[in-house]
Amino acid sequence: MMKKEALSSQIVTAPSLTGRAGGESVGSFLLVLFLLLLVSCSSPSVPEHYTESGLAAHIYPDYADITIPVNIAPLTFHIDDEATDYVTRLSAGNNEWTFGGNDVCPSERQWRDIKKKALDEAGGKIEVEVFVNNKKGWQRMKPFSYTVASDSIDPYISYRLISPSYVTYEDLTLNQRCLETFDESLIYGNMINSDEKDGQCINCHHTQWYNPNRLQFHVRQYLGGTVIAYDGDLRKVNLKTDSTLSAGVYPTWHPKRPWIVYSTNSTGQSFHTRAPEKIEVQDTKSNLIFYNLETNEVTPITRDTTNLDCFPFWSPDGQYIYYVSAHWERRDTVNLDFELIKNYKDVQYNLYRMAFDEASQSFGEPQLVYDAIARNRSVTLPRISPDGRWLMFTEGHYGVFHIWHTDADLCLMDLTALPFGDAPAPIAKTGRAVTQNPDGVSGASQRAAAKPDGVTGATAQAKPDGVSGASSRSQLPSLTGEGSGERLRAHEGTIRDSATIAAAENIPMPAYIRYISEINSLDVDSYHSWSSNGRWVIFSSRRVDGNFTRPFITYFRSDGTFTKPFELPQRNPQFHREFLRSYNIPEFMSGPVTISPQEFARIIKQDATPANLLMK
Amino acid sequence: MKSKSSNSTHPLPQPEGLRGGLLYWLMPVAILVVAGITLVLRESELLWRAQELSLWLPTELYWNTLMQYPGGAVSWLACYLTQYFYYPWLGTLIMCGLWLVICLLLAWEYRLRGPWLWLTVLVPLALFACVTQTGYWIYYQKLQGHLFVPTVGVLFAALCMAVPRLAESRLSSSSARWVRLGWLMIVCLAGYPFFGAWALGATALVASLPGTQPAPSWRGPVVITSFTLLLIGAIPQIYYQSIFEMTQRAYVYVAAMPSMRYGSESFEIYRLPYYAIILAFVLIILASRYGKALAQRFASGAKSYMPAAVIIVLICLAVVGVNAVWYRDVNFQKELAMNHAIDDLDWDRVLEIAREPADKKPTRQIVMFKNLALFRLGRAGDEMFLYPEGAEKQNAPWQLHMTQVGGKQIYYHYGKENFCYRWCMEDGVEFGWKLELLKFMARNSLLNHEWEVARKYLNLIRKTTFGAEWADHYAALLNNHDALDLEKVEAAIKAGKPILSERDTEEFLPIMHLMTYPDRLDGDNTLVEMYLLNTFAKGNGDDKMFQEMTLLCALIMKDIDLFWPRFMKYATLNPEVHMPRYYQEAAYLYGHLENKVDISHMPFDQSIRDTYDRFMQFNAQCGNMSEEQKAVAFAPMFGDTFFYFYFLVRNQKTN
Repeated sequence: MMKKEALSSQIVTAPSLTGRAGGESVGSFLLVLFLLLLVSCSSPSVPEHYTESGLAAHIYPDYADITIPVNIAPLTFHIDDEATDYVTRLSAGNNEWTFGGNDVCPSERQWRDIKKKALDEAGGKIEVEVFVNNKKGWQRMKPFSYTVASDSIDPYISYRLISPSYVTYEDLTLNQRCLETFDESLIYGNMINSDEKDGQCINCHHTQWYNPNRLQFHVRQYLGGTVIAYDGDLRKVNLKTDSTLSAGVYPTWHPKRPWIVYSTNSTGQSFHTRAPEKIEVQDTKSNLIFYNLETNEVTPITRDTTNLDCFPFWSPDGQYIYYVSAHWERRDTVNLDFELIKNYKDVQYNLYRMAFDEASQSFGEPQLVYDAIARNRSVTLPRISPDGRWLMFTEGHYGVFHIWHTDADLCLMDLTALPFGDAPAPIAKTGRAVTQNPDGVSGASQRAAAKPDGVTGATAQAKPDGVSGASSRSQLPSLTGEGSGERLRAHEGTIRDSATIAAAENIPMPAYIRYISEINSLDVDSYHSWSSNGRWVIFSSRRVDGNFTRPFITYFRSDGTFTKPFELPQRNPQFHREFLRSYNIPEFMSGPVTISPQEFARIIKQDATPANLLMK
Repeated sequence: MKSKSSNSTHPLPQPEGLRGGLLYWLMPVAILVVAGITLVLRESELLWRAQELSLWLPTELYWNTLMQYPGGAVSWLACYLTQYFYYPWLGTLIMCGLWLVICLLLAWEYRLRGPWLWLTVLVPLALFACVTQTGYWIYYQKLQGHLFVPTVGVLFAALCMAVPRLAESRLSSSSARWVRLGWLMIVCLAGYPFFGAWALGATALVASLPGTQPAPSWRGPVVITSFTLLLIGAIPQIYYQSIFEMTQRAYVYVAAMPSMRYGSESFEIYRLPYYAIILAFVLIILASRYGKALAQRFASGAKSYMPAAVIIVLICLAVVGVNAVWYRDVNFQKELAMNHAIDDLDWDRVLEIAREPADKKPTRQIVMFKNLALFRLGRAGDEMFLYPEGAEKQNAPWQLHMTQVGGKQIYYHYGKENFCYRWCMEDGVEFGWKLELLKFMARNSLLNHEWEVARKYLNLIRKTTFGAEWADHYAALLNNHDALDLEKVEAAIKAGKPILSERDTEEFLPIMHLMTYPDRLDGDNTLVEMYLLNTFAKGNGDDKMFQEMTLLCALIMKDIDLFWPRFMKYATLNPEVHMPRYYQEAAYLYGHLENKVDISHMPFDQSIRDTYDRFMQFNAQCGNMSEEQKAVAFAPMFGDTFFYFYFLVRNQKTN
């Protein structure tokens, strides 16, 4: 065996980077020590002789053959292959940089040089060669490359860090990270205003058109309210009115005006007994509201209790609100929560939009954009590219909270190819008109609180027995009866049988939509956000370990395809392997939020200004 | 510059020479040795569990996580040291060693000689009480490394005092005063982010150190005191404004101190040992300032022993105080011991502990541990009522929840992996990550075939000081996915080529059998026992072990309608097995109670029939008794029967 290996090798002397301490006297020992120090201070060198492994190196994060923005922070990676020594060579044109050890961590200065040389001299290509010294001697693993795109990425992202927990939330933070460096800082953390007795959840941060000076997020439970920063004006408002379901939940800013559309939600969660998904987050009610920051007025947009309207997103031209909606009519005599738990796989969401008239600040009739239910699917999180052409959304088989659904995948819709163009189409579904059905809101039945890893929700009230008040979220009541065997479908008010469902599975996707197979994984791929130049998308994925959400970045080519996504770079390449929190709602920003956490804390301690209700 | 040695204070007449000085150390050393031995002998389960409920990782992330809050370094050091309770004697040795160092430092720094140095032992006694009062706080204390935190904090303060003491012995008194002033600032400014409130305490103690010379005027002490108060008041506020973005303003002065709060309640009594630490320092400071004068006053005759006698009385009072706050609860001790035995899969040991006599009824957790052990040994149907039944409230002044105490272990062994995982995650978020949680989550993930996240947890465990062996053992399963596939494991056993080791088979195979139920959405509302009883009793499966569990739970729930189909199925699935005693008793009883099922042809043991007859006869004799009276009267003869359980064991409140 050894002989065969030797024959197959090109050759073989493999100098050890660490040398060998073989002195017999103190003098020689000191000499070796000196040499060792010398070696350790010098740059590692690529072995002169090695064999070709032919295999790709096992590196984490997987940065092989990716496209990166010109201004991204250094890509650091860890080599998982077992070996005694490692050398990695990065080359761009005729320039080389070598790194020793199994953690390859270029400094920020080196990285700037590498990228510059790559763009200036190598058409953006950075070649990466990993050499490992193992039982077979030095081997060169299959090389890979980075392609540096000249398109830059927004310098900051904001996100929430949260343990993928169920009803508890301590150390919940809204953070911002400079993508050009490894600098991360706190926007606001809940512990500054929380204690054992009074817990606080924070969620749903969102900026207006990437502007860090126009930011909003919610505080739930203790000192609850919506915090809005707008060009130096910092306020806390209470968006709950007598005629709306809850305070604002999932927000979307108008691209230019001080207006925000929110969903209002009554949300709960229950727990899978066996499935790896572990949690199911469901709305039992949800509507849309419009908030005018200048007048501090809330106007209901939709109020039908049989429709669950959620995740609004304003088109970049401000002319439409896109959102998802499920139709559910109570048919059992049991409590609505139980009914939805029992039939959780039957609650499916379609994609809709409503035209918006800026002059009158009113919304048109809902228009079905994508009938996902017809395909036995459920969509969520519509997000439109800044140029207004592309709409990315997440699709799974049921529900709206896809961060917990392993089948969740990202899809891309070409809005210029919509069969009905820009003209609002008539819609068959009834009861969706703006501000109609005034009896539709049942009042004060908000129950749920922050939702687990993913996007967070409505006002909290109930505390699950046994979890301390300081940090708990509510859960749907226990359902200990036998599971439902029936398959009910709520689609356009019809109940579909299993044959219909099976047939629906085979209905192809409309021509103007496609699964983004080049970036989807076998696990959850969900929350996504476009960069301001439309060339990059950051999205949440659980592809690494199935449990902890990590942000991935992908380049959007001009032909409408994406490059292989790469994990958010960290100074310590194994950081995410140790990190026990998930990234929530990664969103691009043009710069950092400059308001300090203490300043936010001060505002949050103040009473929230109640919003006024404006019925149209 | 004056020679310091000529000005050293010797409050009491000294025994001659070094040997005489060392003799005075015999008592503190003896007290510490006794304390250590007592800890190991009486609290080894607590200490072992403390390291399971703690976590230390040699990573930058772990350090940064702790350092988000002022005083993170205390927790970092304390968590590191807590690991050594993996061997309770080793952790105790380290702890007692640190206490001795504290005594030595304090005696030197405060210039305590002769019997006065005995006062230093009051500090370790207070620290000892911080450990022994723990009880159920071991599950609920949010301060990481809380068992070692007071020791590390006090040690830090004692080390801080060494600098001005050294300066005084080497510099002129005016230079030493400036050094002390500067050092005060350094201790507070540089110490606060790392040691939190302990640094504030250290600042005060540095200021309190007695000078070798009397202050030339009142201005010196006033300046020092004012400066110290200013530092203690201002530095935490400055840090709050500029650095620590995750700490409430109100808590900046108690950072790195245990909160002793749960929910909206605060439990002041648990702060007594911490007040005792302060009191001990006050006594030491007083002794260092006024000891000399006192010694001179009682210098002659029999009165010369007065100070020593007073100190001994103080120490005795401290020992009485320690004894008074020492948390002793037989059920708590049993729960800890059973938990450890279950971790070792030593089911017989669990039953031994359950049988140990106690002065009160067992908690539901003890009963559940016992039932789990019997089930795993295949003896539940014959023995489950041979042990004391009870629902004693766990002895804590707040409402405990089994999910936060032993529930995760119970869920794990009953195959409710998602719920075990859930409560590990909840506890990790609320109380901080602990080794035990990572161990459960690693095994939950393995059993759920979530290999990558299992690897993540195992890699973290491997980094702990004593976790590598454990992690390596389970990591072997990451590369052998068949090993956690029930059908393949069973097939391999039948073929005589087992995939799993004997130990892993014992751990995993029963769990895999109990996991043979379909997924659905559910919730336990923190009631572990009710959830298990409900879901198993209403479950239905062909796996023998799972099926027996459904029968057992239907029996415990006294649900006749659920019992019969499960009883019949058990008989069908286990034709070769002699029907266990309690299943027979239940069937015989239900057959007579309802007559819905014809039991006339069922081959009940004669002993079952006889016991039932005697039970009914005795019941007839006790016709006028209340249920409570009957429970007492029936217990000696029928306490180990299902009949007794059915009729006379009621209102077992579970948590």
